[in-house]
This record gives sequence, C-alpha cells and structure tokens, in this order.
Amino acid sequence: MPSEISDAALDFLLARAGLSLTPTQKEDLRSIYPALADMAARVRQPRGRMAEPAHVYEFAEEDLW
Amino acid sequence: MVSEQILTIAEAARLIAKKELSPVELTRTCLDRIHALDNQLHAFIHLTEDRALAEARAAEAAIVAHGPKGPLHGIPIGLKDIVDTKGIRTTCQSRILADNIPEADAACAERLAAAGTVLMGKTTTHEFADGGPSFDVPWPPARNPWNPDHFTAGSSSGTGAGVAAGLILGGIGTDTGGSIRGPAALCGIAGIKPTYGLVSRAGVAPAAFSLDHIGPMAWTAEDCALMLQALAGHDPGDPASANRTVSDYTAQLGGGVKGLKIGVIHHFHEVDYRVSPGTKRGIDDAIATFRSLGAEIREVQLSPLQDWGACGSLISMVERAAAYEEWARTRLGDFSERVQRRLMLGALVSGVDYVQAVRRRRELRAELQTAMKDLDVVLTAAQPAEAARIDEVPVWDTFATPSFTMPFNVAGYPAISICSGFGEGGLPVAMQLVGKPFQEPTVFRIADAFEKATEFRNRRPALITARAAA
Repeated sequence: MPSEISDAALDFLLARAGLSLTPTQKEDLRSIYPALADMAARVRQPRGRMAEPAHVYEFAEEDLW
Repeated sequence: MVSEQILTIAEAARLIAKKELSPVELTRTCLDRIHALDNQLHAFIHLTEDRALAEARAAEAAIVAHGPKGPLHGIPIGLKDIVDTKGIRTTCQSRILADNIPEADAACAERLAAAGTVLMGKTTTHEFADGGPSFDVPWPPARNPWNPDHFTAGSSSGTGAGVAAGLILGGIGTDTGGSIRGPAALCGIAGIKPTYGLVSRAGVAPAAFSLDHIGPMAWTAEDCALMLQALAGHDPGDPASANRTVSDYTAQLGGGVKGLKIGVIHHFHEVDYRVSPGTKRGIDDAIATFRSLGAEIREVQLSPLQDWGACGSLISMVERAAAYEEWARTRLGDFSERVQRRLMLGALVSGVDYVQAVRRRRELRAELQTAMKDLDVVLTAAQPAEAARIDEVPVWDTFATPSFTMPFNVAGYPAISICSGFGEGGLPVAMQLVGKPFQEPTVFRIADAFEKATEFRNRRPALITARAAA
C-alpha cells in the first residue's frame, strides 16, 4: 500500500464500496491514509507463502455426524 | 436499612442471604442515586424502573420463601444498549435503531436474568460500540463520575460510569479492542474481557466478529468473577462459543500470589508508548506490591505494541465494514460523524491487507503463547493515561495513541483491568492482568489479591461521597 492515495484511486475504492462521500469526508480520509498504510505495512512480515492465517478451522467432534 | 455506602455484589449478596438486606430496598437505593446523579452522568440511555421494582419484589419473595438461588439474586445491574432485550428498546445508541424492540433476549441477558439479577435499564454506549464520544446522536455520551467534564472511554461507557457511581452494582460490557477495559480503567472499576468464546455473543450487535467479547464490569475483581460464573458456558447460538466445562471463577480467590509468576511487558508502556506519570507510578507500585506478596516478577518481550494495534485495527475495520455495509451504503448520513469515518475506512483496506493481518494474528498469538509458557499472567497498562476531557478526545483516536488493550483481543486471551491508583486531578489509573486462555480463575485470584492488599477499592467518586455527606 503506498503512503499516499490519488483522487482517482480514492474515488475508485469508494465507488467499489458503494459509499457516497462529500469532498470534506474524502479529504478527511486522505489525511488518515498514511497511518492506514503504516498499519498495512506492519502486518506484512517476511513469512513466505506457506504461513497460515488465524482463521483456519478444524472440525469438532459434534460436526462429524 | 441501606445506607449511602455503596455495596459490592459480594457484600450485597451476603446481606441478602442473611435476610439483612432486601432486594427491593437495594433497588430503590440505586434508583435514588440514578435520579440524583444520572442527569450529570448519562449512564443510562433507557431506564426500566417499573420492571426493576417488579423484578426486585419477585426476587425478594423468592428469597424469603426459598433463599437466594445464587449471589446475583436481587442484584441491580445494567446492560449495554447493544445487548438485545426482549420487549425493551435496544438502540445501539443509533438513530438507525431508535425504535428497535427485540423479540428475544441476548444470551448474556438471558443468563443474568436466570441468575436472578434486577435489570435497571440499558446503559449508554458509543454508537454500535464504535467511535465516541458522539454529540450528534439522539442521546448524550456518558460522563466520568470522577469528574463529569472528563471522558469515560468506551464503548461500554454507561456501564463503567454506572458502576463507579453506584447506580448499578455490575453490568455487561462488550470489548472488540478494549471497550470493557477502557471504561473500567478510566472509571476506576474492574472489567474483564474473558477468553474468546467463553461468553456467548448471540443477540449482541457485532462490532468485529473475530474480536468481539462479552464480559462483566463491576467494582471489584471478585464481583466480576461472580458475574462471569453466570455468564460463561457453551451456546450453540454463537458459532465461536467454546464447548468446554465452565471453571469455578471464585475458587482461587483468597489464594494470594505467593509463588505465582507475573511477566511485565515493560516495553509496551515505557518504550512503545510512554504512559502518563500517574499510570507508570501505579504500575510500578503494583509490581512492588506483587513482589512483597511473594510473586515472582519477570520481564516479557513481545512485538511492538503498534504491531498488535495494526493487526487488530485492520481486522476490526474490515469486519465492521462488512457487518454494516448495507446501512453504510444506504444510510451513511444517519450514523454519527465518528462512526461514518470508521465505516469509510473499510473501503481503503484491501482483501489482501485483511488476510495479511489475519496471518499476522496467528504469529502474534503464537508469540504470546510462547512468552507465557512459564508465567501465570502478564501485566501492562490498561490505558495510556488518566481520562481526557470529554471535549478533547481526538476524532481519529484509533491512530492517535496505540491501544494497550487490543493485543489481547488479537490473541483472544482473558484480560482484566483493575484500578492501580489515582493520577493527576484524582482520576483513576489502571493496569491489565492477562491470563492464559480459560485461566480466568488465576486472573481473578491475582487481581483480587491486589485489590485486597491496597486501599483503592475504598475510594469512590467525590460526587457520590458529597451526596452521602449532604
């Protein structure tokens, strides 16, 4: 995730989410985008393709009927 | 006769069992306090006075006839207004649900009712347990009883304020990134986020499905243990509900801390983010207290606090955006400005970002598991500082200060906030004690030992003591 977001990229993401925002709201989002980009960078570690997410699951005994 | 002294649940239960305290009298005393103070505190969004008195009378009759069914029988409590209550308006503090009357109780409401509690009403929350304080929703935010110009933290703000002021003896909070422990810390009470899956989420409005926890808030750790006993247990209505035997949460109380091992995550509150002097002093004094009581203190090193926050926040933003997508698309303007902002964030986080956060979650949880292998609990701050003025809370508070509570939502481990003293201006400061999964009895044992070894549970907000003196 880049640390800045262009108007066109922001408009695309908001349109895809179905959100209709005012210019003030868009500016507000743009102002916080670097902090969001920092979060996205923090969750990326050199882990390789085999690292599993936390949300994998197993079948419990009661599922096996 | 009930005096102005505010009883804990445990104290009230003992008096009720001995028939020295009537649930009706206790309920009336709480109602008197509510009528006197809640115009300043706004702990309640909706008071259920007639129902409370009817439940108190029924409890009294049952206790006279058969004795109490347990320690919560006849105890006045509040439920956060994101908890569904059959026939009672449940608004989530949002104009979107202003007229919502659920057809069934949430599982936690049902369990507390079955234990014989007296429901005083629905307590104030941040809108949909999200950003606050908001002044642009139909109901005002709760105020801190220690100084009503100050914030309670959130989102279980009304339960925190209500317990601290003695309007209720306990109540339900929910916690996605700290919404039980934050208000518990800033209001100077105890609040535990139990292990993920221990208390059913069924019938409670979601904030972020994989981070949401339901738990008790009360004046003491012992009271939280009494409430958790009624709340814990498997519920097929919650797909994350843990199917395991419920522990005895009071069994270890009074056992002291001699020989127990407490790990301190100093770098969270001293390096990653430097907490206020009052908060640091509270933690340092607590460590000294635990050491003097015979606990072994060790140092714990984890990934930086900001890594845990990033992981939890990204997951939270996306899960929340998914839960509220339809209303965000069609009724965005009906949310408070703060919640609008948070819902908008979901649009900026990609699916890949989310999965990377969930992969990071597995790594961070494994890290905590390893660090706690030879420990009973770990300890760090619950909040970075004393309560700020309510009009000075940053709009983007998620990004302004790292969360000390989110790491344990990410991990799903049980974490309690208890008062560790008072900082500038007499406002409470707090610490967190974090146990291993399903080891709540140990968490309560250590928290209770601290509360009994210190004087902080003997002090109530000045507006209560001033009323008592008048």
